[in-house]
Amino acid sequence: MPQNEVVQGLELDDYKYGFVTDSEPVFRTQPGLSADVVRQISARKDEPNWVLERRLKALDIYDSKPMPNWGGDLSDLQATLDETYFYVKPQEQMERSWDDVPDNIKETFERLGIPEAERKMLAGVGAQYDSEMVYHSLKEEWEAKGVVFDSIEDGLKNRPELFRKHFGTVIPAADNKFAALNSAVWSGGSFVYIPPGVRLETPLQAYFRVNQERLGQFERTLIIAGEGSRAHYIEGCTAPVYSTDSFHSGVIEIIVERDAFFRYTTIQNWSNNMYNLVTQRALVHQGGHMEWLDGNLGSKLTMKYPSCYLMGEGAHGDILSIAYAGDGQHQDTGGKVVHVAPNTSSSIVSKSISKGTGRASYRGLCKVYDGASNAKSNVECDALLINDTSRTDTFPYIEIDEKNASVGHEATVSKVGDEQLFYLMSRGMDEAEAMALVVRGFIEPIAKELPLEYAVELNRLIELEMEGSVG
Amino acid sequence: MTGGVATAERVRRTAVGMAAAEAARAGDPDWLRARREEAWRICEATPMPTTRSEEWRYTDATRMIPLDGLAPAFDDENGPISETSPPALQAALIEDGDAAGRVTDVDGRVVSCDLDEELERQGVILASLRDAARHGAEGVEALLATEAVPASDGKFPALNAALWSDGVFLRVPRGVSLDSPVRVARWLSRAGTAAFTRILIVAEEGSRVSFVDETLSPDLDAPALSCTAVEVFARGGAQVQYASLQRMGRGGVHLANQRTLAERDATLDTLNVALGGSVGRVDLNARLLGPGAHSDMLGLYFGDDDQHFDFSTSQDHVAPNAHSDLLYKGALDGRSRGVFRGVIRVHEGAQRTDAYQTNRNLILSEEAVATSLPNLEIGADDVRCSHGATVGQLDAEMLFYLTSRGIGRRQAERLVVIGFLGEVLSRLPLGGVAERVAQAIEAKLRHG
Repeated sequence: MPQNEVVQGLELDDYKYGFVTDSEPVFRTQPGLSADVVRQISARKDEPNWVLERRLKALDIYDSKPMPNWGGDLSDLQATLDETYFYVKPQEQMERSWDDVPDNIKETFERLGIPEAERKMLAGVGAQYDSEMVYHSLKEEWEAKGVVFDSIEDGLKNRPELFRKHFGTVIPAADNKFAALNSAVWSGGSFVYIPPGVRLETPLQAYFRVNQERLGQFERTLIIAGEGSRAHYIEGCTAPVYSTDSFHSGVIEIIVERDAFFRYTTIQNWSNNMYNLVTQRALVHQGGHMEWLDGNLGSKLTMKYPSCYLMGEGAHGDILSIAYAGDGQHQDTGGKVVHVAPNTSSSIVSKSISKGTGRASYRGLCKVYDGASNAKSNVECDALLINDTSRTDTFPYIEIDEKNASVGHEATVSKVGDEQLFYLMSRGMDEAEAMALVVRGFIEPIAKELPLEYAVELNRLIELEMEGSVG
Repeated sequence: MTGGVATAERVRRTAVGMAAAEAARAGDPDWLRARREEAWRICEATPMPTTRSEEWRYTDATRMIPLDGLAPAFDDENGPISETSPPALQAALIEDGDAAGRVTDVDGRVVSCDLDEELERQGVILASLRDAARHGAEGVEALLATEAVPASDGKFPALNAALWSDGVFLRVPRGVSLDSPVRVARWLSRAGTAAFTRILIVAEEGSRVSFVDETLSPDLDAPALSCTAVEVFARGGAQVQYASLQRMGRGGVHLANQRTLAERDATLDTLNVALGGSVGRVDLNARLLGPGAHSDMLGLYFGDDDQHFDFSTSQDHVAPNAHSDLLYKGALDGRSRGVFRGVIRVHEGAQRTDAYQTNRNLILSEEAVATSLPNLEIGADDVRCSHGATVGQLDAEMLFYLTSRGIGRRQAERLVVIGFLGEVLSRLPLGGVAERVAQAIEAKLRHG
């Protein structure tokens, strides 16, 4: 089976972000979760009382909700959580200047290419290391226009009214078990405010790094895109490879005001010992446009369904999702679009590649409420299977309560065709090149939407996989 | 969960009644008695499905299938409740076209069963299932509620396997072809009753048969349940068509568990039509067990008023090189609700599977609701699978085209709906079925 040999390399075997940094945290809570741990986190952050009360209430909700019995295999998760550090503070304070970040942490991010990226073309950069943002900066021209790009903690301190008005309104603690967990122990994440009419020409980027073994990272991001504004936020994630499992459960709340455009890009490349259970949701008001670009390459299990709630007339939501499930990985991803207002439209495009024993599942919802007349939604899922042990599933939910709506869903599953390979090889390509070309062609519709560096990175990953296969 | 307790109580009384009746008649052979007892144990151990389970998320079984208020339609001590041949049933039989055989079932008991004499000579068996089981007809003991719809499949399969009062057994010997369909007409006469019936069809190698299973009732002022388990075996190279037409009156609750098993090179096509009744739930599982097996799975539903139709289908590709193609289309008017949940499961090793699944819904009123959940679970890599689902309204362009040619708005709408649903019927040419369904759709459109 030469084809099997060829695709052997189609995997993130050489996970280049798997190194460990030798750093001593300044504080961490004891392993496991309790009201006391929640109090300690809140005390460390010197929070107002209402925030602590919200956290404790969320903890009760978390305790009262059962583990999900759908999606991925969560049977070992409770044991993992019992051993998990819910809060690890890497340094005393967040820095505004890269030079002030401790050397070992700085080196970590240098190796991940963060400041380099900043120098290139970003409007702002944030970096989270374990439980805290260690660095946040925003170019002066945008600061002068009133853009806020800060850690969530500083958002609470410096913009208390705005924070309180919106925090937990898009994703309340009771939304799901892991949203409740995050609402109890959140730490780090970004606070973003784009004033009305401001159009950011270059993206904001936040980088999430887990270093501590058995860490739970619970970043919380709140984004408010003011009327007529335009911005793009990019999130990247990596972690060292440990023999024990780690846990990441973020909550991302986005409010897209009237006629605003917001794009949120995730390139998730966690190590293969990470549970990644994330809730991401945007409320899109009249004429607004939200775009999720969700790339899931890493982790042991990801359950993540970015959502657009189309609340105002003419609102539009796009979700582009790409998942790569290699050996032992399960990517349970997809998207949700909820049409509440008339003349709203949405589109979900999902592409997945399953290789080895990997499993990619698309799970999605298209809901049209009564009154959302003339709503239009289209969902397309394509899955590519590389080996006979690979698995893929498609679970779309379509619930239509409105007469004047038009909703379509299409999915296809295929393997890399022998004819396609034969065609390319008969034109002089070797098998690995041919395979790489077919796979690249498959993800092209999504890769072309990525900022250049990420598109290059995604293609490079696939090249890399092919390289290994030839030797 | 007081509702659950009350239900169990009620069914226990039903079962006791049945057990007593059986003892009185001492009719069942030991194997069947044991099978019923085991089924009853499973039934008691299995709670009523709730909307918390994925499979029953959109159909509240406790509310819509109110076992509490139902007594068995057939009671051995007292005989059938109704007269044996109601006029509406007679009318349905007369409308039928040619038939190789006919079976009439009233309130869960077969009252007549006729088979073409020539076919009888060729060894075809068409019989009351109860008689066949009691007289040891070949295949019944081995196949009844074992491989296809065993009691272990769930609450309702267990309930049915414990309580079934009668049904139809059809066995077509190797190489025998039936040129016209076997037609079954079932009638449920009273509100507040439940009929538990089964159909067992065995088509031996290279045989050919089609089977039309129609369920009827008058309009009822309270629920009446027709609960049926359908088991269809197509042996190597056999060609089988099974069509279920549900045309019950209001109040009717239709609950069907259907399973089709297609072996090597067999063709096993199904059609489910739901037009009548208040609640319809069909669980259809098609298993493709041999290379070259083929299943076309067609469905058509047209809801109005408060009708609720729920279809749960699965296409299990166990063997490589098999093909299945599903098309379910529904039109929903009034406050009706249509639910389609379908899954294609490609098992490990089922390489070169071709499997397709399409669900299309037409919403005709402000209050109608359509839910579509087409799923894929793929465990082999060399496959071609796709699914599609749409929910939409009447195409304005089509209506404009028709009305601009002088056709009234209402009539134009009718034509579009008939055209939309007609695609399903055109794919399964089965004597008399398309015409009858088309008539019923017309009647519903006129009524609307």
